[in-house]
Amino acid sequence: MYQYNEFDRTFINQRVAHYRDQTERYLQGDLSEDEFLQLRLRNGLYVQRLAPMLRVAIPYGTLSSQQLRALASISNDFDRGYGHLSTRQNMQFNWPALEDVPDILQALADVDMHAIQTSGSCIRNVTTDQFAGAAADEEIDPRPYCELLRQWSTSHPEFEWLPRKFKIAVIGATFDRAAIGVHDIGIRVNGSSEQPENALVDIYAGGGLGRTPVLGALIRERLPVKHLLTYTEAIMRVYNRYGRRDNKYKARIKILVRALTIEKFKAKVDEEWAAINHEQGAVPAAELSRLSAFFAPPSFAELDNAGELLGTQRLENPAFNRWMKHNVHPHRVSGYSVVTLSTKVTGMPPGDVSSDQMDAVASWADCYGFGEIRISHEQNFVLPHIPQDKLYALWQQADAIGLGHFNAGLISDIICCPGGDYCSLANAKSLPVAEAIQRRFADYDYQYDLGSLDLNISGCMNACGHHHVGHIGILGVDKKGQEFYQISLGGHAGHSGEAPRLGQIIGPSVAREEVCDVIEKVIKVYLGLRFEGETFLSCFNRIGILPFKESIYAKAA
Amino acid sequence: MPRLLKRIPSGWQICDVAETPWIAQDEWRAGGALQVGVDAEPLADWLEASSVAIEFPAMTDGRGLSLAVLMRNRLGYRGELVARGSIHQDIVHFLARCGFDAIELPNEEHLETALKWIDPHTGYYQPSVIRSESALTSAN
Ligand code: HEM
Ligand code: SF4
Repeated sequence: MYQYNEFDRTFINQRVAHYRDQTERYLQGDLSEDEFLQLRLRNGLYVQRLAPMLRVAIPYGTLSSQQLRALASISNDFDRGYGHLSTRQNMQFNWPALEDVPDILQALADVDMHAIQTSGSCIRNVTTDQFAGAAADEEIDPRPYCELLRQWSTSHPEFEWLPRKFKIAVIGATFDRAAIGVHDIGIRVNGSSEQPENALVDIYAGGGLGRTPVLGALIRERLPVKHLLTYTEAIMRVYNRYGRRDNKYKARIKILVRALTIEKFKAKVDEEWAAINHEQGAVPAAELSRLSAFFAPPSFAELDNAGELLGTQRLENPAFNRWMKHNVHPHRVSGYSVVTLSTKVTGMPPGDVSSDQMDAVASWADCYGFGEIRISHEQNFVLPHIPQDKLYALWQQADAIGLGHFNAGLISDIICCPGGDYCSLANAKSLPVAEAIQRRFADYDYQYDLGSLDLNISGCMNACGHHHVGHIGILGVDKKGQEFYQISLGGHAGHSGEAPRLGQIIGPSVAREEVCDVIEKVIKVYLGLRFEGETFLSCFNRIGILPFKESIYAKAA
Repeated sequence: MPRLLKRIPSGWQICDVAETPWIAQDEWRAGGALQVGVDAEPLADWLEASSVAIEFPAMTDGRGLSLAVLMRNRLGYRGELVARGSIHQDIVHFLARCGFDAIELPNEEHLETALKWIDPHTGYYQPSVIRSESALTSAN
């Protein structure tokens, strides 16, 4: 992974010093609430319903065991002993004291981490495939380009005060695990990691969820990667100058793209790019090779696939067998696997992890997996490089502390925002709904039979829980002061290799008590009409929304 | 006499200056001091201004930063470029790096703080209007 040099360290230490001074001036009354708001957001500090929340950047979801241990200590020293994995591959602390934040940021800086630009109307942490560098379906490692964008966007003089937040995602594999289609800019890198400077990039713009969900459109194909920054600069400049600033709900780039039409937006960007001296601004090949070298594969041993051993272990232990089936993914190197450690245990908020769990994950990474850890946008931990003959030992230890659940990709692997329990913008609670669904579908055989199914829940239109791209999406709405839930079907984020798609609403929203029944009816329709081996999503693609509507609303109507 | 931050050859300092008679775009003639809004489109005529000010309507409005970059890099404007309006003392470093060489604050009391934070880092990740070298281009 990327290693900080003196420049990076000096930079973040100077940033902490500036923020410490700002906090002191705020506490002395020299900065108003509104002024400080803008400054603290850009240093990761958000104030929500119950307490401040600090969002720590985990660049493209990659961190070292040492860094994860530092996060565990921070959660013990400054918080309540746990942290929260976010859908943008970051970690959030929910209870820090505002006065402590400069010290927390210093503790982060000491392990080469920061919370810069994790909130506010600026370019946010770049996200990518949680399996980058390990996935069997990877064409090229996206991380060097993520790091390039991270550095370029950090405290960019021109683009720190945008109309609204700005999210960039990068993918280099066949399956789009980064959901590039629902980002302000989505980047697909084509090429090979042997020649990082010769990669070609496809650029999508104007995607986003929130109250107006839109899929990004392809605006530039096969751009030589040395122009990635100047082309991004052109997009950013057009957005910074012409994006709406009068209404925050209409300020995302997707609204600008739609107002102009994609053709005119693209023409404006191309015109801007032509005017930039993009040969002079091209990223030097040496810089791309330098960054790529950080992401060279670790020193994998020459191992054979451990099929026979695993076969025996799986037969002996049915729970391990289930975990193998759902949480262990193919690796590009023989004898290794990629492991998802699920945080989705019934009764626990999805994504919440204790400091003990963090420490344990760090030690497993050290013992078995080159000290590397990832965070997935599904809010789980990933250990990207585990030798297959260590899987059983890893699983036993994980299972002992609540991280060995078998449900990756199943209905109980719910993406869920904090909702009405924690968030002041919520229309409805989301955590109790997630828990109720997990209880209703707890039976393993039932879940297994249902197969891969993404169920996503957001407590309001802001869509933090990505409900638009859940195969089943649940959205909290306010109906005359009552908490109601709108259900949509058939959305997906593009993981399957197809272009992403937004879900369709099935009908009038329902009360909290009815949500599980409705989901169960949806599932029954699927089970009744599916062909052998057909996933929920493929079945939906074939039969459409009507049979679901009929089953749910027929009698009531 | 208004006080503001000014770039001098050795860095930045707080200066007392005479009041500038700013003229809005529709009344401005070559030779005068021109004040434009952050939504203005840069025009070649502006090269004839004695000085140009960009008026920021809010601390959070980054349009003036892009406009400054365009004036410096695209238009080739080399004259004085002044930031006015709702300028916050903690974001002056962005202004400086986008090519402003004079910064007025709505409240002169904060000039000292602004001066302290005019250049909070010894180096930056990306090149800017005022510095072509950066961590990214030097392949350090
Ligand atoms: C509890 C405090 C939170 C508040 C007040 C909050 C607020 C918001 C708001 C206002 C938006 C909409 C932005 C827009 O329309 O441009 C948003 C989007 C989003 N939030 Fe949160 N959020 C919170 C917590 C979280 C958490 C814990 C996560 C991760 C699990 C999260 C993930 C996201 C994501 C991924 C989006 C992006 C949706 C998009 O692409 O438009 N949020 N949030
Ligand atoms: S979706 Fe709404 S309720 Fe949920 S965290 Fe985001 S803003 Fe809060």
